[in-house]
Amino acid sequence: MKEKLEKVNEFEWRLPKSVRKEMKVDAMIIANEKILNAIEDAAVEQLTNVACLPGVISPVVGLPDMHWGYGLPMGAASAFDVNEGIISAGLCGFDINCGINLIKTNLSCIEVKKRQKELVNELFTKIPVGVGGKGKLRLSADQLDEVLSRGVDWAIDNGYATKADKAATEEGGMMAGADPSKVSDMAKKRGAPQLGTLGAGNHFIEVQKVTDIIDKDAATRWGLEKKNQTMIMLHCGSRGLGHQVASDYLKIQEQAVKKYGIWLPDKQLACAPANSDEGQDFFAAMQAAVNFSFTNRAVMTKWIREVFEKVFGRTWEEMGMDTLYAIAHNIVKLEEFKIDGKKRKLYVHRKGATRSYPGKPVIIAGSMGTSSYLLQGTENALIKTFGSSAHGAGRAMSRHAAIKKFWGGKIKDELSSRGIETKSPNPKSLAEEAPLAYKDVEAVVDSVHGADISTKVARFEPVGVIKG
Amino acid sequence: MKKYRIIDDLTSDVMFEAYGKTLKEVFENAASAMFTVICRVDDIKTGKKLNVEVTANDTAELMINWLQELIGLVDIESMFFSKFEIREIDNTHLKASIFGEDMEAEMGETVVKAVTYYKYKFEKTKEGYMTRVSLDI
Repeated sequence: MKEKLEKVNEFEWRLPKSVRKEMKVDAMIIANEKILNAIEDAAVEQLTNVACLPGVISPVVGLPDMHWGYGLPMGAASAFDVNEGIISAGLCGFDINCGINLIKTNLSCIEVKKRQKELVNELFTKIPVGVGGKGKLRLSADQLDEVLSRGVDWAIDNGYATKADKAATEEGGMMAGADPSKVSDMAKKRGAPQLGTLGAGNHFIEVQKVTDIIDKDAATRWGLEKKNQTMIMLHCGSRGLGHQVASDYLKIQEQAVKKYGIWLPDKQLACAPANSDEGQDFFAAMQAAVNFSFTNRAVMTKWIREVFEKVFGRTWEEMGMDTLYAIAHNIVKLEEFKIDGKKRKLYVHRKGATRSYPGKPVIIAGSMGTSSYLLQGTENALIKTFGSSAHGAGRAMSRHAAIKKFWGGKIKDELSSRGIETKSPNPKSLAEEAPLAYKDVEAVVDSVHGADISTKVARFEPVGVIKG
Repeated sequence: MKKYRIIDDLTSDVMFEAYGKTLKEVFENAASAMFTVICRVDDIKTGKKLNVEVTANDTAELMINWLQELIGLVDIESMFFSKFEIREIDNTHLKASIFGEDMEAEMGETVVKAVTYYKYKFEKTKEGYMTRVSLDI
């Protein structure tokens, strides 16, 4: 399918709807030539599947970190009409509101380096990590419902977050349409012991240093002052609660596909008409999972602050540890865009994609041991990609293949020789996240910058990594 | 007869096939295969026992529901499992006892987010049954 891509410019490629008779709209890929070569043909084919769905709005967007995923690639955005379109559990991904919190400090990396090992060990001890990392909070059913309904507002009331944290979180850390009654008992039982846990897979906490400030104005506005300033990146999601919500509604929407007579090119794109019960119930349950995830990261942010207080002997306020921004990667949202000159509300599905709104922060995490970027959203993202940008480097190799190819101990040694301290409950998890298992993050960031769907503000490199 | 094997697939995170002469065997072996991904099964003791009951509309769905139930129990019970005994099974219903121990971080391998329908198969074969399952990790 890749051979049918038409070059629009150095960073944009169009797959016209004429390549497949069922396609209702074009697909578009944001990528420079280097990154385009690294994208699998099967992932491009998946974009064309989405372009066949009812009420889809042109174009279906593939971002430069896109790689094959279940149903739709990770690294994609698609939008649907509120009446004629669909809402899909399959287009959102299993880890609802997997996302990133970026936390500032005013510490220089020289000071952090002196306590680097201690800091990484303390973070690893304080925050439950990995598949076997047991949560420390035990929420009652009522408390959990409150988290699902109120998100970061619950965290504020219970001393885990501040109003400033809320202001620096997408959606203010709380999607108002969340309805806990649409979340299954199984999902709630899984979520109750997991608030404040990192999980495994590609989830991590990284202590980073600023290596380059590219856009001084934006950097100053967001409190990035100088090179070598220490930052913290926290990447995780809605844990078993979100996985269960996605699995439950995939099943419900599989039935809905039959009930409403929707033709699907791939069973994993289970969906339901946007205004049906099966569509709206998923939307309400997904928002509850989104709120759980925002709260999960807020709780861990508090614990990260406490670790820094212990290691550096100052309060977190003295160390300026404010949330720079907290964003979601896997999410469905009702957002307004100008389509053919008219303002329209659309159900935007971002799967492995970051919101990119003019003037707002966009965070792109590199693979373990490589650089990460802070960028700024643009007007062009609203026009080209439904206000979306890339979310990470994007896998180039399956996790299983990476485990077979790399040995975790060697990766730890290699990172250590570059001055990066790592800690993980299991060496295999370092292998599955080996830098070579991912695409080149620099090429991903060059692509979104070149296409002007978000522009570079600052570059970070890791100093310490806690890997789930 | 081989109990299961992990298959290299270009894009899927983890894919495995499990086999069995009987329904009981293929369900037990599929669970064993999945837990090699989740934890260090060989080191998990079998001192704690849980009873599980799963239903579905047909056998293919029963396999998905069974594996999905086990993923959920890891979170809910904070346990890893290493032994699976199907006590009763027909095409739409099963009762099982599962054995394991409380989870410890160092015993974990990775989080399985979900059982997917990607290239999913549940088939009757000459020898009995075969299922092919992809896991999102």
